[in-house]
Amino acid sequence: MRDWESDPAGQESGRGGQKELEEQVLGAGLCTGCGACVSLCPYQTIYHDRTVVLHSCDLAQGRCYAACPRTPTDLGSLRSGLYNETDCTPELGALKGFFITRTTDEGARRRAQHGGTVTALMALALREGLIDTAILAEGGEGLLPRSITVRDPEAAGMPGGSRFVVSPTVAEFNRICLGNAAKIGVVATPCQALALAKMRKWGHDAASYPHFREVENGIEKLHLVVGLFCGWALSWQKLAALLKKKTDLARVTGMDIPPSRYHTLEVYTTGETVRVSLDEVDPCVREACRTCGDMTAEFSDLSVGSARLPEGWETARSWNQVIVRTERGMDLLELARDRGVLEFRAAPEGNLEKLKAASLGKKRAAASRNGKR
Amino acid sequence: MSLDREQKEGSEVLLMGNEAIARGALEAGVRVAAGYPGTPSSEIIETLSRFSEAGKLYVEWSTNEKVAMEVAAAASFAGLRSLCVMKQNGVNVASDFLLHLTGSGTRGGMILITCDDPGALSSVNEGESRHFARLMEIPLLEPADFREAKEMTRWAFDLSEAIRNVVMVRSVTRMSHASGNVVLGALPAAGGKAQFRCDGPVSDPDRGPMISTPVIAKHRLQQEKLRKAAALFEDSPFNTYEGPETPELLIITSSVCTLYSREALSLLRAEGRAAILKLGTTWPLPPALLKKHLRGAEKVLIVEEVLPFLEDQVKILAAEQAREIGIKTFYGKNDGTLPMVGELNPDLVAAAVGRILGIVSPAIPAEYREKLQSLTAFVPKREQTFCPGCPHRASFWGIREALQRDSRGGFVCGDIGCYAMASLFPAAGFHTAKTLHSMGSGTGIASGFGKLGPFGMEQPVLAVCGDSTFYHAAIPALINAVHQNADITFIALDNSGTAMTGFQPHPGLDVNAMGEVSPKVDIAAICGAIGAPVVTGDPFALIETRETLNRLLEEPGVKVLILKQSCALSPENKEKKRFLVRVDEALCRGEACGCNRICTRIFRCPGLLWNRERKKAEIDEVICAGCGFCAGICPAGAIRNEEAANS
Repeated sequence: MRDWESDPAGQESGRGGQKELEEQVLGAGLCTGCGACVSLCPYQTIYHDRTVVLHSCDLAQGRCYAACPRTPTDLGSLRSGLYNETDCTPELGALKGFFITRTTDEGARRRAQHGGTVTALMALALREGLIDTAILAEGGEGLLPRSITVRDPEAAGMPGGSRFVVSPTVAEFNRICLGNAAKIGVVATPCQALALAKMRKWGHDAASYPHFREVENGIEKLHLVVGLFCGWALSWQKLAALLKKKTDLARVTGMDIPPSRYHTLEVYTTGETVRVSLDEVDPCVREACRTCGDMTAEFSDLSVGSARLPEGWETARSWNQVIVRTERGMDLLELARDRGVLEFRAAPEGNLEKLKAASLGKKRAAASRNGKR
Repeated sequence: MSLDREQKEGSEVLLMGNEAIARGALEAGVRVAAGYPGTPSSEIIETLSRFSEAGKLYVEWSTNEKVAMEVAAAASFAGLRSLCVMKQNGVNVASDFLLHLTGSGTRGGMILITCDDPGALSSVNEGESRHFARLMEIPLLEPADFREAKEMTRWAFDLSEAIRNVVMVRSVTRMSHASGNVVLGALPAAGGKAQFRCDGPVSDPDRGPMISTPVIAKHRLQQEKLRKAAALFEDSPFNTYEGPETPELLIITSSVCTLYSREALSLLRAEGRAAILKLGTTWPLPPALLKKHLRGAEKVLIVEEVLPFLEDQVKILAAEQAREIGIKTFYGKNDGTLPMVGELNPDLVAAAVGRILGIVSPAIPAEYREKLQSLTAFVPKREQTFCPGCPHRASFWGIREALQRDSRGGFVCGDIGCYAMASLFPAAGFHTAKTLHSMGSGTGIASGFGKLGPFGMEQPVLAVCGDSTFYHAAIPALINAVHQNADITFIALDNSGTAMTGFQPHPGLDVNAMGEVSPKVDIAAICGAIGAPVVTGDPFALIETRETLNRLLEEPGVKVLILKQSCALSPENKEKKRFLVRVDEALCRGEACGCNRICTRIFRCPGLLWNRERKKAEIDEVICAGCGFCAGICPAGAIRNEEAANS
């Protein structure tokens, strides 16, 4: 199978090391900043939201290249290894169920970006011992989010909130793997979820990666991936430069993008809400995101995004839509229902079809971009 | 054996060339000696400093060569014998003062000793200081052996007093750093009182002010002095002739090239066919002496290092005397008989003489060549790099990480000191340092780069500068950068001494060349007073260094970071280890993905070894300095630091 995205760097599928990673991904502007190639070794690091090569590594094959979501990937075999084939859809990946949910904790909901489903699920997973460690993104300094590791369910219950800038979540996962965590749950963007899926593949298929066997890679510790819907991420440097002209960056508390007809990025500050036209925001989108066709984090256990409801944005913004992809994902969601952590409502007629259409739209745009490259 | 106070007059001792020069100065009654460290010259001031004594001999390491020459000149003006010492490019630094000093003239005998470095064994240039003698119109002497090094230095003071001007004595690495037997002469009793007489008219050489004006009159006087020197050179014992009266080939040579020439004639068994005119007084040349010997030979080969200085002068004289001595065929640098770059050696001279005389040079015996090859297999391969425990390695590691993180293509302007290796051997500086010129130039170049922003240059510009280099020549450049509002990050690599040349004291330390307590001049205070924000850090604190640098790289204007950590070889650090460093083999990832030998492949401290059989890193406990920095770069935590007992 040769998917639109099976070969985003335009190279034949193959293995490589840092040199190929630099040529095909970093130098080609395809890096997503997911952090998959970081904390595995001393050669790459993340600075702000950029992946940086500190020193050169001359290994012909490296985990950096193997884990990168933008190096050639056989998505078909990856999908069939991790998901039930009968669940797979061309638009949204594996699909076991589709739900509209929100947290039952009203306080958390007020603080949450949308329905607070992600934080509620991670807190629940920790509380119930499904995982012992959660890796989340958190608003760091300025506009730059950071990846944090949480073991306390109460701390996981503090909602993240989006900055639309990537945080190096997989780098944090790689770092935590080396420690004594046994069951790790990760909140991941589509690219991060893909990186984790690629790492699971080499975990299962160690014989084909002779270079990696000497190092414990810890991927078996990955017990839960909660995916985030993602249209694109912004370059921190470009976003900061743009917003500096509009407001005091130190006062920014959060951001959101209402439904597409508003065509606006809302920036919440301690004083006011600054509205920035998406025309201005568009040049800040990371190049790598323009060639990404995964809107719904297809390589997760379950994926969460903002809801679209007939009542309009003001109601919809306090709900999430959830795609469940695995048994594990379904068990977690059902547990949330049983424990009263999440509130469910019926998905409106046509919502799944609209989501499929949107997802397909992103795949088409990416395919057309990839065609032009 | 080295020179000491206990050695008696008349005893024969083995002296290094630089010690012989120092002894010559002592026997001449030198009272003030000043210099700036620079290989191959440094042992002269070091030796003299051991003989220093209040009121008898004052010795200093000056901030730079120009100041050293000025300090020596003051002593001369006050009637004392003085000398200043520097390496070849130091003369460039001092040359502005020298131009004016040679105009004003001197009183007490004053000599300028320059030690050149043909082949650039310890330099980043192959500068020829001899040309300064001609340019500045002062006499030049070149010793050809160790005995002569002492005698010539002693006589140079007499000559200086005879002509009332500076005399230049030029040595080379193979003279300064080789050793030979020297018979010691008497040390004179203490000389007279220092007094600068300056109450006479400008025309009075003994009582007038010391100035180079009126220029025309003084210049004319200076040239008269030079003619007087040339006359004295006609029967100087430092000029010798050996060989047949009418040789097939006359070799004219000076300095250590005399030894190469003798050895070459001996190798070729050509002593009966060629003669050697060895000149100790190489500027101005004594015309009558030259005429006498040129007359007897048709073919003339000039053997010298590096440029054809003597060759040009001999040709001028030969042209002037052509009617009397006839037309000669010259061989030397200009016609390619000898190379115009690098050091000479007996083989090169023998090959040249062989070609001229039609003698096939005896090849190196096969047995000797085989022996040589078998022995070189045992020589361990060593790259030129920073010592184990060197703070510079840590500094450049931090700079590398900061520049890579910054990702705008930033680079370092290098400078002169051990840290010049970062520019010379890219792996040693982790490919950060990209320029290298003269002392202090890194900062000046950075100041220029730092003004190219409006031309579209987006790369951050860094300059590194050692502590001694800071005082020597970086301060004016830094002032310039601040005043011009250049965007640069200036990093002072302060390792508390002039480390590269052997830990001579400098103004940042509380001791001087004579071992006396001296006021310290603080780099941070100077930078602050210039108006630059100053941060001080420890290069061994990697994360702090990196974070500080990344912050500074974002800021406009001149920012100063002082990375302070004393040299691993400094007297206070010697034999001491802060940590006992060990490798936990069970944790070492070796060549696997996840490390790929970062410690021995990239970091490359000589204290870290790669065991090929075990495929693990090891610590060479003999040479590990125990700085512990490598523990912080090991991704597996396999390098462990244990507190050392002697820390």
